[in-house]
Amino acid sequence: MATAVISHEEEVRRLQRREGWRRRLPILPALLFTIAVTQIPFLFTLFYSLTDWRIDTVDPRQFIGVENYTSLSGDKFFLDAAWVTVKMTVMAVLGSLIVGTGLALLLDRKFFGQGFIRTLLITPFLVMPVVAGFMWKTQMFNATFGVINWVLNTVGIDSIEFATKYPLASVVVVLIWQWSPFMMLIILAGLQGQDASVLEAARVDGATSWGTFRQITFPQLRPFLELGTLLGAIYLIQVYDHIEVIVGGQPGAKNLPFYIAQRSIGGGNRFGLASSYSIIVVIASIIIANIGLRVLSGLLEDDS
Amino acid sequence: MAEVRYEAASRLYPGSEIPAVNELNLDIADGELLVLVGPSGSGKSTALRMLAGLETVTSGSIHINDVDVTLKPPQDRDIAMVFQNYALYPSMTVAENMGFALKQAKVSKEQRAEQVREAARILDLEPYLDRKPKNLSGGQRQRVAMGRAIVRSPQVFLMDEPLSNLDAKLRVQTRTELVDLQDRLDTTMVYVTHDQVEAMTMGHRVAVLKDGILQQVASPRELYRRPKNRFVAGFIGSPAMNLLDVDRADGQFALAGTTIELTDEMRAAAAAVDGTTFGVGVRPEHLKFTSSGSGIAGEVSVVEALGSESFLHVKVQHEGREQVLVVHEAGDTELVRGDNVTIVVDGPVHVFSPDGESV
Repeated sequence: MATAVISHEEEVRRLQRREGWRRRLPILPALLFTIAVTQIPFLFTLFYSLTDWRIDTVDPRQFIGVENYTSLSGDKFFLDAAWVTVKMTVMAVLGSLIVGTGLALLLDRKFFGQGFIRTLLITPFLVMPVVAGFMWKTQMFNATFGVINWVLNTVGIDSIEFATKYPLASVVVVLIWQWSPFMMLIILAGLQGQDASVLEAARVDGATSWGTFRQITFPQLRPFLELGTLLGAIYLIQVYDHIEVIVGGQPGAKNLPFYIAQRSIGGGNRFGLASSYSIIVVIASIIIANIGLRVLSGLLEDDS
Repeated sequence: MAEVRYEAASRLYPGSEIPAVNELNLDIADGELLVLVGPSGSGKSTALRMLAGLETVTSGSIHINDVDVTLKPPQDRDIAMVFQNYALYPSMTVAENMGFALKQAKVSKEQRAEQVREAARILDLEPYLDRKPKNLSGGQRQRVAMGRAIVRSPQVFLMDEPLSNLDAKLRVQTRTELVDLQDRLDTTMVYVTHDQVEAMTMGHRVAVLKDGILQQVASPRELYRRPKNRFVAGFIGSPAMNLLDVDRADGQFALAGTTIELTDEMRAAAAAVDGTTFGVGVRPEHLKFTSSGSGIAGEVSVVEALGSESFLHVKVQHEGREQVLVVHEAGDTELVRGDNVTIVVDGPVHVFSPDGESV
């Protein structure tokens, strides 16, 4: 009957260790899978970005260090694409934020058919990006059959080939149309989280409706606006489908993701160079995402 | 300085058939602290919100200082309101919260700061002026809400259950502070509560509401001594009045087999009322234990010893059914559960006609 003597501390340590594994084990497969499909390709991309790899020559792939990166500052196409990315993201995020806030303010009141209208307003967000692009290109922007040009014609204005003449604006309009519902939902959550009696107190205290919005509602919405901006920016920085469908390879509306695809799988075949572009986009996205997460956690802390 | 008058004021919510407030007639004198009290759903908060302008008056009218304000928006009524959850502006500091109404009225910054400081001094809020509401305790938030109201020197203060979110001890303390503050400022105050103790201790007069209908308006003492109907009798007083259904026999009322002595006046008044089943009420302090033998026989079922006083629940047989009478006793009672006792009535008895009105 010689049982090993285990101290109380040792017993507690063992229990804690077992408890730790009991929690970790269930998420381990998912974690390994995520690492396999995201981090390993990322490491490959990082490696490719340091080579001159292109698949249309017989020359062997050569390691060229950071040359791809140092050449970026003089690469006019890259700089153009980067600038378009910034313009497109900023305009689409701000536009959808303004439209979304307006819609949210209209929805944040009781009226007949409120739920139905809200569902209708959300639908653009549920449309696949490629389908949205085709719809707008063929049914709205088209010079011959498009609804917008039909309206313009009826008031005596000649047809405009929107996608050719204003490629960036055309893409941004579709992005705003698709992303306003997303912003609307976030802002609506913020509006409906407002305490009704606070608004009543403001009325009793003599505030006008604009004064109430500016002094009470807007400061309370701020974290929600920030959240919408950051989540929107993370998604809209990587738009590809809309550009491909609406303006295709035309200049003026090519953002970095589109340009990366063009330069690699899209026929450019310069995988090494395109990889370095990707790394730049990833770094920019990580910076934005980090700020976003910090805002998000700030929002959650405020609640508790 | 303001007096308030409700003239047959009603509030009917769309889709409902019974008004939340039904033809309320009420005169509130200048400088008076009037308490609106009633159970939940009685319309007391609605009545207050009608005065605030937050609730539409569907018929009748409301006057402040003889000015008809029925259709005026809240900001044109010169009233200040304290909400149950305080409704502080979360993004503003205590000072900004208190100065908000003055800012809307375009009062200069210096003037505003001075008035806020003065109100903060009265309420002991000076150390907290730069804090946000979320960094304050419940009691401090309540005081900020008060400060926001008094900083404006309004014509009328409206209080919508302002103490119900405080813990019991703080509630009692704040209650007395509030009475003192109202007395010093001498501003008309309408105070809504569901707590009859608050109503009795604070109100100059108390208005009891039930189902949107005003039951009685009177001083706390009058309400307690001469409730106009069975509802008021049961609602006012803690513990509640012992109220039993009693069948009239030969013009007499018997409580658990013991005939009750009535004044000649009451007997005559009761005789003028038709019907058989009356309500008979006796307050716990008007019942006494006796050792002489004649009286209502019962058995002690619960002893609530509060220290300074005790309340004993006594099971008695009344008209063939078991009923409980609550009897007030001294704090050092030696009676325990299961003791057999004899109760006699020693004090006023209330008799209510079959339709609930006091006779």
